[in-house]
Amino acid sequence: MKELLRMEQITKQFGNVYANRNINLSVKEGEVHTLLGENGAGKSTLMNILIGLYQPTAGTIYLHGEKVKIDSPKAAVKMGVGMVHQHFMLVEAMTVLENIILGSRKDSSVFIKKDQVRKEILALSEKYGLDVELDKQITEISVGAQQRVEILKALYRGAELLILDEPTAALTDIEAEGLFAIIRKLTGEQKSVIFISHKMREVLSISDRITILRAGETVTTLNKEDTDGTQLANLMIGREMVPSNYKKVTATGDEVLSFQNISYQKQHKHSGLNEVSLTVRKGEILGIAGVDGNGQSQLAQLAAGIIAPEEGTVLLKTSRVSRFAPNGFILSHVSHVPEDRNKMGLIGNMTVRENLILKATEEARFSYGHGALLKNKAITKFALEMQSKNDIRCASIEQEVRNLSGGNQQKVILAREMENDPELLIAVHPTRGLDIGAARYVHDTMVAARDQGCAILLISADFDEILNLSDRILVMFEGQVMGTYSGINPPIEQISLAMAGKGN
Amino acid sequence: MDAFFNINFLTELLLSTIRMATPILFVALAETYSERAGLVNIGLDGIMSFGALIGFLIGYKTGSPTVGILAGALSGIAINMVYAFCTIHLCAPQIVYGMAINIFAPALASFIYRLSFSDTSTLIQGVSMKALPIPVLSSIPVLGPLFFNHIPLVYFAYLLVPATAVFFNRTKAGLNFKAVGEFPKAAETLGINVIFQKYLACIICGALAGVGGAYLTICYTSTYSEGIVAGRGFIALSAVIFGRWMPSGVLLACLLFGFCDALQIRLQLLSPSTPYQLLQMIPYLCTLFVLAFFGIRKSGPKANGQPYYREER
Repeated sequence: MKELLRMEQITKQFGNVYANRNINLSVKEGEVHTLLGENGAGKSTLMNILIGLYQPTAGTIYLHGEKVKIDSPKAAVKMGVGMVHQHFMLVEAMTVLENIILGSRKDSSVFIKKDQVRKEILALSEKYGLDVELDKQITEISVGAQQRVEILKALYRGAELLILDEPTAALTDIEAEGLFAIIRKLTGEQKSVIFISHKMREVLSISDRITILRAGETVTTLNKEDTDGTQLANLMIGREMVPSNYKKVTATGDEVLSFQNISYQKQHKHSGLNEVSLTVRKGEILGIAGVDGNGQSQLAQLAAGIIAPEEGTVLLKTSRVSRFAPNGFILSHVSHVPEDRNKMGLIGNMTVRENLILKATEEARFSYGHGALLKNKAITKFALEMQSKNDIRCASIEQEVRNLSGGNQQKVILAREMENDPELLIAVHPTRGLDIGAARYVHDTMVAARDQGCAILLISADFDEILNLSDRILVMFEGQVMGTYSGINPPIEQISLAMAGKGN
Repeated sequence: MDAFFNINFLTELLLSTIRMATPILFVALAETYSERAGLVNIGLDGIMSFGALIGFLIGYKTGSPTVGILAGALSGIAINMVYAFCTIHLCAPQIVYGMAINIFAPALASFIYRLSFSDTSTLIQGVSMKALPIPVLSSIPVLGPLFFNHIPLVYFAYLLVPATAVFFNRTKAGLNFKAVGEFPKAAETLGINVIFQKYLACIICGALAGVGGAYLTICYTSTYSEGIVAGRGFIALSAVIFGRWMPSGVLLACLLFGFCDALQIRLQLLSPSTPYQLLQMIPYLCTLFVLAFFGIRKSGPKANGQPYYREER
């Protein structure tokens, strides 16, 4: 196979920080080349250089053997480089068709020739099996369909090299399979794909070659045949990773949280709850499995007291909850690691130190007169303790929390939520977007808390995470409970069917 | 009250509505272009004042209303480039710089006026634009004088509405332009030059707002006085929100405000015993009510008002 792309000795500096340092990458025609690395390893920076959003501080890029300068996204598009960003670059207020033709210079006409464009797009979508509805608004289509629009966008511009940044992060397993079929069709047409992911199973199934980045530098490039998941994981984090194998327990302790026939906007199948009953006991992890958007968010918010049920009873430590307000739940030692850490878990513009005490400002240890005057010295001391105890990596505790990596942000949340010995922890997608090391830390913390007697409600769309941690597994589908299964030797097939809405 | 049912009164009222709505329409369209590219410009009042003065001055010196209007447009662009540079290049807060223009530009305009006419204390009479009746159409009874017997600038303003609608909805350039206000990063990755589009928006906005100002001194009164803009820029700003950032909606909103303005003048004449200050409040009250009722559900361009950093980590 001929070489399509070669990036040589690429270096990118932001101030004094090297995001990329002497990185080398070579991609052949018709291959799927995976970039593997933890968060902050420099994958995104490298790709942003390739698509012309960033200018490298040093280094050269060759396309088809010729030295090129990609000084703007426009230039990248012209050279046949297309990227599907992890956070889609779609204009929500426009239709699918409008998004695909946006910025295109295919012909010089002033007006949009909708009929002609439609034909071209339909031809493309048929060729690669990219099924989309052209006249729908972006907000009306599913995440999987949005991704297909992104791929079509790149192909419509004549992309020969397609970069997919964590394309499966928001997809269900079935949708991911569909994506892989599309990728195989693309490589069959001699198009190349750079695939970014840290899900080992996917990487091993789809890649031809794998380049591993660590701390902004290239570690090595391997053929898929010559490696396995353990080796890749070790290369990625730079040390030996012991596979996690958590002990499962059968809890017999008191019920900490109990839902009895809870309904909330049950007419909405994807954002409501329909007659949900569940219990979480002291010292156990109840995992909620299910494809994202089947009522899990609402379940979590109910358990944290953010929303109130329309029907049914919630028992918190055996007493009936009559008033749903987060503060009351916090005072009852309920902790919450919310699904969107930037929107719900942290205040981005406030410092690490401030975020760490958000829940406890009124306590006597941090303030005089119930929050009237803060005890800054005590708070700083506390924050420093938390920082070292939880290995929060930041320049200083006075750093704004939004500038931290996802893993460290999650550590800030965990530190705050675990600090007051919670009796119930609600963890929603606790490792979403985190790299292996950080995810491991989160899991270890949760299991340790369970062993201390904390009841944990774990909600995750990552099935492996659910299987790995849960003592019991409850499956949700369209706002309903499909069944509860033991976490010890779980019946995986049965659970998968239940997640798809099939089963008893 | 009989006068209300008089056909002449109604025709006059509607005619006046169209004339009163014209400057607001220019400025509201200016703001529509600006906000569609993600730039909230609250400095419209300032740009108008400056356009009003320069339009008046150049019109007076050259004796040509057309040259005056063009000068108004150019001066609007010039003033708006200050806003453009600060908000686009320096990513400065848009509201603050819009406000700065509102304070700076009218003062500068008055200063230039005094420099130019320091030797007279009488009100200077400038040029005014002549009406251009459209042949045949203007002789239709009632409708003729209402729609086809105006100065050229009025036709231009109303033609801008469908032109803008076509631009935004039918052309590629319009689609790219809108994308910048919705999701600049996406636009950038698709090869659209975001910075260029934003400057383009500021040029269009400055020109149209400048024309809106010059209209006041060349077509409405032919004199310049301090405070001639009288908050029309802010009324235009609310017309954009009320009109949901769409040219047709903006037109309707401007006609409503124009109607209020026309009505209050008529009411002043009809009822001299009512304090005129009370009646003068009508257009502004109308703005308040409209914003209170229609401004709640915030739609509009998604990245409106946010600075765009190109190499953001």
